[in-house]
Amino acid sequence: MLITKLKSKEELLSLVTGKVFIINCHGCKEVSFPEQEADELEKDLLAAGKVTGILTTDYICNPENLKLRLERRRTMIDEADAVLVLSCGVGVQTVAEQLGDKKIYAGCDTYRLPGYQGVTPLEVNCDQCGECFLNITGGICPLTACSKSLVNGQCGGSKDGRCEVDPDMECGWERIYRRLEAVGRLDALKCPVQVRNYATDKDV
Amino acid sequence: MENYTKYRLKDAEELSEVLAGTDNIFVVACNKCFKEFQSVDEPDCDEFVRLAGEQGKTVTGSVKIDFLCNSIQTERKLAGLIPEGTESVFVISCGLGIQTMAELVNKPVFAASNSLNYTGHHGMALTKKACDACAQCYLNVTGGICPVVDCSKSLLNGQCGGAKDGKCEVDPNKDCAWEKIYRKLEETGRTAEFAAQPVQLRDYNKVNFKVINEYVKAIREKRLDGYYGGVHPSERKELSEHCNLVRFPESDIMVIPMSQASGKPADPIVQVGDYVKVGQKIGAKSGFISANVHSSVSGEVIAIEERRHPATRGGLSVVIRNDHKDTLDESIQPKGALEDLTPEDIVKIVEEAGISGMGGAGFPTSVKLAPGKPIDAVLVNACECEPMITADHKLLLGYPDEILFGLRAAMKAVAAPKGVVVIEDNKPDAIELFRAKCEAYDDIEVAVARTKYPQGAEKMLIKRVMGRKVPSGGLPADVGALVCNASTLKAISDAIQLGMPLIERIVAVTGECVKNPGNFLVRFGVSAKDILAACGGLTCDDAVLKMGGPMMGIPLPDADVAVIKGTNGIIAIEPDVTQEVECIKCGRCADVCPMELEPLYFNRYLKDGNIQGLKDMNIMDCMECRCCEYICSSKIPLVARIKEGKNAVRGMK
Repeated sequence: MLITKLKSKEELLSLVTGKVFIINCHGCKEVSFPEQEADELEKDLLAAGKVTGILTTDYICNPENLKLRLERRRTMIDEADAVLVLSCGVGVQTVAEQLGDKKIYAGCDTYRLPGYQGVTPLEVNCDQCGECFLNITGGICPLTACSKSLVNGQCGGSKDGRCEVDPDMECGWERIYRRLEAVGRLDALKCPVQVRNYATDKDV
Repeated sequence: MENYTKYRLKDAEELSEVLAGTDNIFVVACNKCFKEFQSVDEPDCDEFVRLAGEQGKTVTGSVKIDFLCNSIQTERKLAGLIPEGTESVFVISCGLGIQTMAELVNKPVFAASNSLNYTGHHGMALTKKACDACAQCYLNVTGGICPVVDCSKSLLNGQCGGAKDGKCEVDPNKDCAWEKIYRKLEETGRTAEFAAQPVQLRDYNKVNFKVINEYVKAIREKRLDGYYGGVHPSERKELSEHCNLVRFPESDIMVIPMSQASGKPADPIVQVGDYVKVGQKIGAKSGFISANVHSSVSGEVIAIEERRHPATRGGLSVVIRNDHKDTLDESIQPKGALEDLTPEDIVKIVEEAGISGMGGAGFPTSVKLAPGKPIDAVLVNACECEPMITADHKLLLGYPDEILFGLRAAMKAVAAPKGVVVIEDNKPDAIELFRAKCEAYDDIEVAVARTKYPQGAEKMLIKRVMGRKVPSGGLPADVGALVCNASTLKAISDAIQLGMPLIERIVAVTGECVKNPGNFLVRFGVSAKDILAACGGLTCDDAVLKMGGPMMGIPLPDADVAVIKGTNGIIAIEPDVTQEVECIKCGRCADVCPMELEPLYFNRYLKDGNIQGLKDMNIMDCMECRCCEYICSSKIPLVARIKEGKNAVRGMK
């Protein structure tokens, strides 16, 4: 699940020069989809006579079902100069692959949801670093809870428990210290210096 | 399909180090997500328990939990599971599950696994396509091929120059993404367009966890408003909401099914050749859960025969040739003032008038009105959470006094001290009208519910308005609540004030494939075919017809089906062409189930023939609201599977 936001109106209008077929993906709508903004944009484009058809559907990242659904609207797609896809980047790429001969435009920017495809939108995050540090931090992630993603303790810049990068944010390392103190594990901080490994897993 | 499992156990060496300082450990393992749901048994938990045993550690217990990151469900499932004497908790999960546990458990929590680290995020289907969520989508300039994910170096402005024979210099097994992009742009004649693009700069500042956490908090509040789960399908009420209510003319031939309510069908009490009048009883209830049926026209009974009706359990229908004289039966007489009626009188009138729940389930209302338990509040279900349907909305605007009269009658029948009219916030005009009307009564109030499906489900409504949870297998009366659909209350009003039994209702005829949608006051027995024809017919040949809304409506194989008491809508919508694929444990069904069930298991266990498993996962609590099927990323017909599963559980006894 990913968070999508509509690109700026200016940018979108600069893309839609001729006629477009529009695809809305509502699959992850319960988490995120700029439905209202998309509706407004589509109303404007319809009024300007620029739309050959609209497909509002779900999970366009599923190539088999996308194929069936696109086939049904083949004429409308053929009539269009371009296809405007309002979805996450996965959806846009799936459409681009299937409609090889068409211009495909991404109408949205995609932001990461805390912890990539975690099933539930949560207030905790995982940066999928591949070398979980939670053992030594009392279960609070230093990568995502600390602005600087420090893994060996606080930077020293926090004031009154607030992060120096963003004063609206609590210092992640103070939170970690408090948690370790509460569960009687302050000795965990005496572990060796941690070094991050930025290599990624290729085989997934 | 790809397997995107999120974590793997840390290696034995590291685990030994972590285990060294601990003992009396409890193990929590996530059952993994985003992998084909083939087995309910993941090996990691047992492997870790074995390793801990080898180190001489005491394991106080272990549990495997689905979707550990679903904190609400996890907290519920974990209650009382961690035994006394446990000193630390080891969690096998991705980083989300581990952090969730650390927040829930007041003991040292250890990570026994690492989240896998790969570039990009896949979609809800398991494909090779990935998105790095860079927040500044470049696919427009690259012909739909992602330079961030597909190029090893995530270059945005063209190739590095290191590719050999089209292969990446970092990984010779990989195609050079920029060569692919170039070929694609060439194919679509966009190379000049690309060359004219300004240099692209990546803004690494944009992915900000804090901003996103605030965003997530807001969507979670919306998601969890009133009760767990639920979905927000496109409402599309605008298709028919502007259409004024019109009386639909009765057909020449009316087909009135004897089975219009839940329970046993009524027994026909007329003969072929009889002349019947409007409001005359033609079917008598045949059991405790059963309802009378009345004629909706005057004319001659020409047949009493089996007629197929997808929304009923079959049985006889009385077919009447309408003489269009609309002669009223002599029994149609006002039943007097509400003050003069006893609760027993009200129940009797409702029973005689054949009133059953008009929201869809069709439970006989007279049975509901004699709950045998104290009722604290009668809730008027005026949510109409089904997308498209506008029948109750029209009723609310057209008959507010009748609805409130019906409510007062119901409150009197069950001696309830309070009445609450619950309306979803997508009907502001109805809310305003009822707020004004309710000022006249001290004991009736209006509650506004945020639009969310299935807000109008009885149990959800009680939870939303009264904060009470109907126990598994229980009835609303068990928690002091009585829920009546607004249409049902209007019918009670008609039965008392006019003496008219239930013979008509408002039907919304809508959907993108109906030429001229509308809202009609229709007598029971009119064919959906006639109504659709009067609406100008259908705009596409392969439209899907349903009686009811798109979520819970019953599919109609053809339109020649009579309108009955529970018909709030007739819709014609575009077919969705999809095929079912394997469940990938995306967890969305568990995330949206308002009854807090895990529908993915119903599908799995039914396939495995594990009927006891179905029962243990509380399949009988499912109310078939279809949220899970709506959200399913694998397009599994879950409701049909659940119905099958329920039958199997029933057969087990």
